[in-house]
Amino acid sequence: MRELKKITFLLGEFALQTPAQQILDRFLLGYPRDGGWRKFAGTKFFVAASRSIGDAELTRRVRDFGLARVTDEQGYIQDSDAVVIIPSGSGAKPLPDNLVRFLIAARGKVDACFIYGALGHSPDVAHDMKGAAIAAQMGLLSGTWVPVAARLPQVDVPAGAQLAEALVVVQGPKSEAELHGLDLVLALAERRRGGEVGIESVRTLAGGEVWREGEKRTWSWPLLAAALSRSNSPQGDALKDARTQDLAGLGLVQKLAREPRGISLQHKDGLRSTVLVLDGVVADINFAVQLRSGEVISAQVLRSPAPAENHYTRLVAVIDDFFRTGKAPWPASRGVLLSDLLARVSGIQH
Amino acid sequence: MTTWPNHALQRTRPSRSGFNRGVSWTGSLSLSRWTRREFVAATAGASLALAAGAAAKPAAPARKRVALIGTHVRKFAHAQHFLDRLLEGYGWHGRHHHPALELAGLYIDQFPADDLARERSARFGVKLQPTVADALTLGTGRLAVDGVLIIGEHGDYPRNEKGQVLYPRYKWFKEIVKVFESNGRAVPVFNDKHLSTDWNEAMEMVEDSRRLKFAFIAGSSLPVTWRLPAIELPLGVPLTESVCVCYGGVDSYDFHGFETTQCMAERRKGGETGVRSVQALKGAKAWELLDAKDREGTRRLLLAALCRSDAMNATEGYTFAEPTLDWVRRGSTNITVFFAEHLDGFRTTVFLLNGTVEAVAFRDQRVRTSMWTDRFARDFTWAGTEKGGRTHSAKFHLPMPPYNTTLADFFNPLMNHVETTILTGRAPYPIERTLLTTGMTAAGLESLHRAGERIETPWMNVAYKAPKESHFWRA
Repeated sequence: MRELKKITFLLGEFALQTPAQQILDRFLLGYPRDGGWRKFAGTKFFVAASRSIGDAELTRRVRDFGLARVTDEQGYIQDSDAVVIIPSGSGAKPLPDNLVRFLIAARGKVDACFIYGALGHSPDVAHDMKGAAIAAQMGLLSGTWVPVAARLPQVDVPAGAQLAEALVVVQGPKSEAELHGLDLVLALAERRRGGEVGIESVRTLAGGEVWREGEKRTWSWPLLAAALSRSNSPQGDALKDARTQDLAGLGLVQKLAREPRGISLQHKDGLRSTVLVLDGVVADINFAVQLRSGEVISAQVLRSPAPAENHYTRLVAVIDDFFRTGKAPWPASRGVLLSDLLARVSGIQH
Repeated sequence: MTTWPNHALQRTRPSRSGFNRGVSWTGSLSLSRWTRREFVAATAGASLALAAGAAAKPAAPARKRVALIGTHVRKFAHAQHFLDRLLEGYGWHGRHHHPALELAGLYIDQFPADDLARERSARFGVKLQPTVADALTLGTGRLAVDGVLIIGEHGDYPRNEKGQVLYPRYKWFKEIVKVFESNGRAVPVFNDKHLSTDWNEAMEMVEDSRRLKFAFIAGSSLPVTWRLPAIELPLGVPLTESVCVCYGGVDSYDFHGFETTQCMAERRKGGETGVRSVQALKGAKAWELLDAKDREGTRRLLLAALCRSDAMNATEGYTFAEPTLDWVRRGSTNITVFFAEHLDGFRTTVFLLNGTVEAVAFRDQRVRTSMWTDRFARDFTWAGTEKGGRTHSAKFHLPMPPYNTTLADFFNPLMNHVETTILTGRAPYPIERTLLTTGMTAAGLESLHRAGERIETPWMNVAYKAPKESHFWRA
């Protein structure tokens, strides 16, 4: 285990209940782990952020936890054991342009870097980030809380399974929903036999096209029904009187969906995976995958209640382990692919 | 179709996340490329038929008939949760499950302005019966159902001087027993929550079920809901103390807390032996006892349980906090603690951590005012310790509407156990668990009524063994 003496945070913003606050605070206050409370005794934390962003809240943390604010990001990165980069918003917004230069400059100085959200805002940047990290012999990891959050039930695609299809249901504004959905579907799919081999084609769906493609069997209605069965937040009549109706079986999904969107991925090995953004149908993240044996595995990704939003706790545990061991729990290639897909989807939608 | 650029990726190693492999449907979904029409026709026809009313009910010969006896049916009332799960089905093991039960008899005691019972009755063609007996006999004078659900929670009922709500669970149970006796036949019964406000009545209910030899299941959804992590204590675990940390009112959430602790405590070496005494204290008196030297273990378990909480009050300017005794003491301004001592020396403690929110950072002030006022921790967490000091802990997860969800789906596993009990005639877990939690709740309220006096409970010398499987929700 590596001792962490200095960790630097590069933040695009700082406000309560943003990824930046939830992640940084778990390093400052500690976080629940294995039934106890993990603290970072002996670790000094630095934050580089514009003084105009979250000044009062950062000042509170300077006072309470000795957080050090810096303006010379490059200099402090070079003295850090690890760096956490959290862009503004949900993680789908662009990273600062000069980050690649920072990482190159950090060569031999920084052991590990975690980036919340996409690895880069374009395929080129993502590739450059990965290349810079390799050149700097630095561990690089990126992603969101979605793939690592608790699941109900706690299931996953069995390692090396022969996967036939995967489907993820998310909600939310453009970019954020797509980021969460793609991050999860890639994490599920890469566990299949042979791992991820690349994407042959990507197609975005919108409005009635989503349902027409379902009828054409571009994506699977039974998998959507299995995913929705895991939801604790059906919309429609459930909001009115809490009835436990069968959304898929009663044909209510199309009626409830507001401006549905979809992303259909054809992987190079023939796997098909889908992200459906279904605002108005359910209000939680659910997935279902089918193995070639016919077995279906489904679960809800547990979004913990505000304000604690403890789904960030699992992500911080992953980052903590990554920094201390130097071993990335998933390959940087997932982040490259995620960035590529987000750019592609964004380009198509615009 | 957009062709993907030629970005060959390295083959990835499988994640080492350590997740368990779970199984949902098998076989029946092998045709995953069904259209919605085909899917609806093949798998969900029952939903359409049931929603269309009684005339469209499918001819399902295997379904057993049940009666539901409830206080009232409003949104989020317990009777609504069970009634809708019977009529509409519910999510279970990766699909929408329709119980193999037909709601034949329905008796509802009260009809508030926002009543839903009449709407459900009309939409599903289930006649509202004028009496409990009629709900069981369907007006024929003969027992006409295969199972009965008593949902005596919520509604406009008086409280006694101890703060107990006088729901008519015992009264209805006795009316049901009378029908069983007059027919010379008894069917399984489910009683939601505690059996009664009175130990003697509760004991009589259990003895009736033994005398007439019918399966009797009761209690809270807490023992059977999700656990995070999904821990299963092995039978015979050398547990010495069990603590639940929760919130809410007395004669209500204290019972849920006791059910949480008891479903774990009963798995200890030697099994349950009965309860020697119960004492309930509020505020400074509770802390006085907790600060005692011999309560170091209880204090440690309190913090261990809170480490599993997803909803503990935070300090000003933060969204979460490290659980410390100092913070709990400052934040739980309206704390109530129940201390139970078992006959074998085992200790049970239930904390109701109510308190004024000091200064939590909320982006949405509506959430603050509607959800968090007077609650220090708003979930159910448990911790227990073994002889030798090993500690276990988990959150007993309640996806609680309306703040975090739209459905109270922690009723799904309880409904499923009710279904199984009626179909098989065997209860999955012993009624003695809920007999004891009923007794501990009642004794706790008696203690509070007597200003924290320790209540000796020689009548609670109820010994029983836990089932091998805990039957909580994990698939």
